Amino acid sequence: MSFMKLKAISILLTVINFINNNNKKSGDQGPWWQSLHRTMLRGILGKTFRLVGYTIQYACIAHCAFEYVGGVVMCSGPSMEPTIQNSDIVCAENLSRHFYGIQRGDIVIAKSPSDPKSNICKRVIGLEGDKILTSRPSDFFKSHNYVPTGHVWLEGDNLQNSTDSRYYGPVPYGLIRGRIFFKIWPLSDFGFLRDSPNGHRSPGD
Amino acid sequence: MTAGMAQSQGWVTRYFKAFCKGFFVAVPVAVTFLDRVACVARVEGASMQPSLNPGGSQSSDVVLLNHWKVRNFEVQRGDIVSLVSPKNPEQKIIKRVIALEGDIVKTIGHKNRYVKVPRGHIWVEGDHHGHSFDSNSFGPVSLGLLHAHATHILWPPERWQKLESVLPPERLPVQSEKESLHGSP
Repeated sequence: MSFMKLKAISILLTVINFINNNNKKSGDQGPWWQSLHRTMLRGILGKTFRLVGYTIQYACIAHCAFEYVGGVVMCSGPSMEPTIQNSDIVCAENLSRHFYGIQRGDIVIAKSPSDPKSNICKRVIGLEGDKILTSRPSDFFKSHNYVPTGHVWLEGDNLQNSTDSRYYGPVPYGLIRGRIFFKIWPLSDFGFLRDSPNGHRSPGD
Repeated sequence: MTAGMAQSQGWVTRYFKAFCKGFFVAVPVAVTFLDRVACVARVEGASMQPSLNPGGSQSSDVVLLNHWKVRNFEVQRGDIVSLVSPKNPEQKIIKRVIALEGDIVKTIGHKNRYVKVPRGHIWVEGDHHGHSFDSNSFGPVSLGLLHAHATHILWPPERWQKLESVLPPERLPVQSEKESLHGSP
């Protein structure tokens, strides 16, 4: 709120300054309130349009940056421990998604299949065509599934505490938003992200 | 001679600077508009006949795709929508929404006779049954794949029209959880 007040005050001061300069320059005759009214209107209107124009321009640049290049994301939840802890801040890049360069072992951000407004952060275990081991290690009979075309198999690193493809099935590639490749907070864990602690899960490797 | 050359160089640098400034303003705004507000696309294929492309490959319809309407993933039964194909992420497909989450649909050619649409998913079908690669082949699709809502046909001019959100009565869901604005079972 205080930021908005400062902005309003600064705009007001700029406008008053503008009017003073204009009056000194034009030196037009007539009642002072007429010239004040004219310049105030012109000044405020011009300033408003310029402010709106800059806001639209910066919003568009921000959209293009987040959509096509990447951005900074805060992750929450325990499903990617120990690689990514709750409230870690990471960098995501979107170029791999657009060039279809997502590989096994990458950590990706994707839209949740059951809630399109929320994002999930998991590791890619299998690409299309891969054979995935879907039975638990305690099961006697091992069961495999093939990842269908156009889909990926996602799993969190914290297998005990993660709802992922083992629960909702393979995820379409079109839901992937970006690839996480760097952690910037906490500083004790600054740097590139580690490989999966669970080893390779597809018998094809 | 030298004064003239200096003048023309000044003109070139000024033009270049103005061009760069305009470029960095125009390109992000245009890209954002086409991504978030609306764009146009040519429809190919016969899966939506007779609503779209009734003339086959001779004349492809061009439709207006409205991104703004689906920014909150709100669709109604009967809407014609474009989405990222679940089988091929490089391709967009255009189909009609038949059922929303919670509905039970009677399928045509699917491995299960009746399917309940899971949460966050929709069931889409092309109007030309049998010639359409749709939910009857790949099952319910996640709303996150939704791309835009096709609202109007823009070309050819004799086919200018607003696309209506109608659901053919034989395709109404067997049971629905959410209320629909258009028609009722």
